[in-house]
Amino acid sequence: MLPNYQFFPVSHPEEGAGGKTGNWRVVRPEVTSKCIGCNACFLWCPEGTIMVKGNKAEVNYVYCKGCGVCANVCPVKAITMVSEA
Amino acid sequence: MRKIISGNEAVALAVKLARVGVVGIYPITPQTTIIEELAEMKLRGEVSADVVRVESEHSAMGVTLGAAVSGVRAFTATSSQGLLYMHEMVWWAAGSRAPLVMVVATRAVGAPWNIWNENTDFMSERDSGWIMAFASSPQEALDLTIQAFRVSEDPRVFLPMMVGMDGFVLSHTKTNVYIPSQEDVDEFLPPRRQPYVIDPETQESMGNIFQPFDYMKLRHSIHESIESSQDVIREIGREYEKLNPLSDYKTLNVEYKLEDADYAVVTMGAWSLDAMEAVDRLRQEGVNVGLYRVRYIRPWATDEIMRALGDKKGVIVFDRATSLGRGGPLYLEMKATIDSPVKGVVTGLGGVSIGKKDFYHVISKSIEEFRFKSFREVEWYYPGEVKEVELGTPRSSI
Ligand code: SF4
Ligand code: SF4
Repeated sequence: MLPNYQFFPVSHPEEGAGGKTGNWRVVRPEVTSKCIGCNACFLWCPEGTIMVKGNKAEVNYVYCKGCGVCANVCPVKAITMVSEA
Repeated sequence: MRKIISGNEAVALAVKLARVGVVGIYPITPQTTIIEELAEMKLRGEVSADVVRVESEHSAMGVTLGAAVSGVRAFTATSSQGLLYMHEMVWWAAGSRAPLVMVVATRAVGAPWNIWNENTDFMSERDSGWIMAFASSPQEALDLTIQAFRVSEDPRVFLPMMVGMDGFVLSHTKTNVYIPSQEDVDEFLPPRRQPYVIDPETQESMGNIFQPFDYMKLRHSIHESIESSQDVIREIGREYEKLNPLSDYKTLNVEYKLEDADYAVVTMGAWSLDAMEAVDRLRQEGVNVGLYRVRYIRPWATDEIMRALGDKKGVIVFDRATSLGRGGPLYLEMKATIDSPVKGVVTGLGGVSIGKKDFYHVISKSIEEFRFKSFREVEWYYPGEVKEVELGTPRSSI
């Protein structure tokens, strides 16, 4: 009898390797027009889901887990955490 | 070649013949002389393996696992408290599906300190996902260790394998052992195969967090591999007969005078030979009894066992291990497999010596009980006079 399938605990770095962590969110970060594009939020986001495009930060909500780190580190308070409910 | 060697020396020779690349070593009685022997072989230039001294058993398995996932044939050995200290890494090795081999020279687990033989340490790892065999002689310890590399590196298995042997009784007792030639072993063991290699050049990583669904899928695939390893083990066992023509590894477990027997005795490990002598004597007296020796705990050979023991009028299982408050683990497994009446006997713990007279006594008494359908499901057996004196004497008045 052969095993039906073989499966191994190996992972490769790729988008969403840790699953769709956006499901975990209860509050979402929203970037307002105050953003000066300083990149602080990009550097600190533990999920790597915030990117600065041009002069404005953009959040990928499929993976943003809503931890609020970005809102905390933003020097000009450009990010507000809004309830998902 | 034949040589008079101990079980531990036999294992060290098997590791040398398998051309192992890394040995993680940490001493613990009664396993110590395996790794001492390997360290000396290294000193004499007989093995090219890296012999890595570590600071604990936890690290010994860490080193062995690290070597295995990076593509090297790896080995370690331990006992008792050491195996328990290593417990976490034992699970990591299985969950990583890393082919590697470990020998456990069994010993009782404290408290209180006891360095003598008992199989509870070995049996306590049976849920971890390893392939687990248990030797009954230094010869079998050598044979099973060589086969273990082949089994664990088979793509249908890809799991670590553990070989148990009774501490001191086998580990330190010298007997006549047949040692296969290096050429034969080289031919028997193909170059190492493994499911993946962790290499700093690639971006692959092992053992990261898994989402619940994938985690369960991995567990399931380990379960399936253990099941399918039964055929692999039989196939490899048949092939091993080329190395040692006197060996018999066609089946997972071993039958002795069982075919026409009404009653059966189940044992595992070194004392099986004492039990065989008791069976011989009972046969001479006209009692229809045979013996079934369990060689593999995982995979559990359900079909082989049902065929061998399914129609018996009574099965007596001897355990040199216990799941306290329940019974011997072998007894519990057996009871979950067959419908025949099963009686479990827990004995020989912590080095208590059990010989053929004890087997004769318990077996004949149990057969009487089966006849009158009045057997105790789990019995603790103390040999000889110890029973009367010690059990009635409280150690303290607390
Ligand atoms: S809330 Fe957390 S996860 Fe989401 S963008 Fe901000 S720092 Fe990243
Ligand atoms: S930290 Fe604030 S200002 Fe800087 S890029 Fe992010 S949102 Fe914009």
